Amino acid sequence: MNPDGRPSRRGRASRQRLLRRFRVFRLVRSSKGPEPGGPGEDEAVRRRLGVGFWLAVIWLVVMAFIALFAPMLPFADPTKVGYSGPREPPSAGAWFGTDALGRDVFSRTMYGARISLAVGGFAIVFGMVVGGALGILAGYFRGRLDQAVGFAFFVLLSFPALVLAILITATLERSLLVVSLTIGILAVAPVGLLARASTLVYAEREFVAAARVLGARNGRIIVRELLPNVVIPMGALTLLGMAVAVVAEGSLAFLGLSVAGDEAISWGKMIVDGAGLRDLQNATHVAMFPVAVMFVTVLALNFAGDRIRQYFDVKELAF
Amino acid sequence: MARFLIRRLVLLVAVLFAVTFLGFSAMNFLGDPLFNVVGLMAELDCEAIEAGSAEDPSLDRARSDCETVAEARATYHLDRPVPVRYLLWVGDMVTGDFGTSFQNDQPVAEIIREKLPETLILLVMAQIVSLGVAIPWGVVAAYRANRAFDRGSTVASFGLLSVPNFALGVVLLYLLSLRWQIFPSAYESDSVVGLVFSMVLPALTLGLPLAASYQRLLRTDLITTLQEDFVHMARAKGLPPMRIMFRHALRPSLFSVVTVFGVSTGAMIGGSLVVEQIFGIPGIGREIVTAVVRDDFPVVLAIVMLVACTFVIINFMVDLFYSWLDPRVRAR
Repeated sequence: MNPDGRPSRRGRASRQRLLRRFRVFRLVRSSKGPEPGGPGEDEAVRRRLGVGFWLAVIWLVVMAFIALFAPMLPFADPTKVGYSGPREPPSAGAWFGTDALGRDVFSRTMYGARISLAVGGFAIVFGMVVGGALGILAGYFRGRLDQAVGFAFFVLLSFPALVLAILITATLERSLLVVSLTIGILAVAPVGLLARASTLVYAEREFVAAARVLGARNGRIIVRELLPNVVIPMGALTLLGMAVAVVAEGSLAFLGLSVAGDEAISWGKMIVDGAGLRDLQNATHVAMFPVAVMFVTVLALNFAGDRIRQYFDVKELAF
Repeated sequence: MARFLIRRLVLLVAVLFAVTFLGFSAMNFLGDPLFNVVGLMAELDCEAIEAGSAEDPSLDRARSDCETVAEARATYHLDRPVPVRYLLWVGDMVTGDFGTSFQNDQPVAEIIREKLPETLILLVMAQIVSLGVAIPWGVVAAYRANRAFDRGSTVASFGLLSVPNFALGVVLLYLLSLRWQIFPSAYESDSVVGLVFSMVLPALTLGLPLAASYQRLLRTDLITTLQEDFVHMARAKGLPPMRIMFRHALRPSLFSVVTVFGVSTGAMIGGSLVVEQIFGIPGIGREIVTAVVRDDFPVVLAIVMLVACTFVIINFMVDLFYSWLDPRVRAR
């Protein structure tokens, strides 16, 4: 990385490489027209969201609704032990069967959406607010601030994500807030790099120069001219980021390092509960239903996110 | 090239310094290091006990506890400020002294030496799996771009990228080991063959999502390369398609894969924590999770540092390799 951020020849080349390396989303106004042979990238498809998108959105809305109103919906008590016998197969009474303690897997899976979506949503908002602010400031003011912020992002990205998360959750009590913040911190650097990259593009544009000539102060230029433009690519990637955050929370929960306590039901925790060899052999449903629901949710986030990304023509280089 | 190397090296050292300092101070500020060493004794108010009357017999135990605490403070340099402690700790690390585990007084260096090979085998096998799957897959998809196979494989890779790796691990474990009984469900270390064979499932779990992302990159790059003039030239000369594909087009299309290789190592190290847990592999991933649960501070710190530094160094080497592949990067 060239931390001084000036568009020197070497600087630009290495920044491009940095962005690629950290699978950050790069802004490319497609100058060459549609990518050769790339399905879904051609103009006609890009301007339509398609049926799949709306199916994904419906799934996400339903999950969000369930997550918000779970206690008011007619689900079985997810923590009640011995609802019926242990490891019962799916039936009319318990749609997804029961787990080793006789708890209702369907109701637990529905309640599990609460933590996953809450953590995912909070984390991406935190990443956008903190990372976005740092990225815009760094990209606008350049110089030493840019160097410092760039270095901080670089250091954050130098930890494998899950390892950094473990380092934080290892030392603090594992409450919902701590877990959300932890995953939020992971989101800061990628979002920040994106915000910085788009700010660099827009800060060169005529309307910014015009505003400056008209006597606008820095604060006004950032808020009124740059922010609306930078928010679009960031917003277009919200759902993709949320997918990453949901998976990260799931991994922590799988390791027993997410929100602690019996009350805190999480998909990752349910999957690890059902993943013992005996359970997996005799009561496959205990692990497979949360796996399926989590997979469809992440798939929906990725799919809808990808469509939105194409719709707004934000190009993401490496996945 | 020399100047480029020096700049890179300076950056490498700065990043290593920042990463280790961040990790070290996080462990010190977020948790109470004294508590990690002596447990509940850290709660004692030693000054008050010293000042208290000598007659009270219950104070004797408290006083000896206080001595333990003072001793621990001295051993772990807890009476010094954090930056000094950091330097002392770096000095220890560099000389190979990683401290001792709180759990069983085993030197951390020994624990790591025991557990590291398993994790390394897993990571190497996973990379082999992912490249072995991704290169043929990407070549075939790009060769007949937008035909049925390509469209199908785009959907498949999208799906594969949406499976969290712990979920994939559980599904593979169920299908390939319990249902069809092709692979053993648990770790075996009796023989080399058994070891490698029992690592196939974990390697698949880690490697398949990675293969999907490599395949996407390779496919896009190959499609672009196949439209270059030199490929048309080769076709016009009448070279067989497979020769054009592998001898002419493949190498210049591998840039993105090489670039992502470094990042993917980080993702894989994270993934290996989870995968080792599922398949019961006694590697450093399992070790760190146990250590976190037991608040075994020196083990956690040492493994985090090892992993973060390895990751930084791998990315550094990928950078160098990349600049060697593509001279424009180091330009002047």
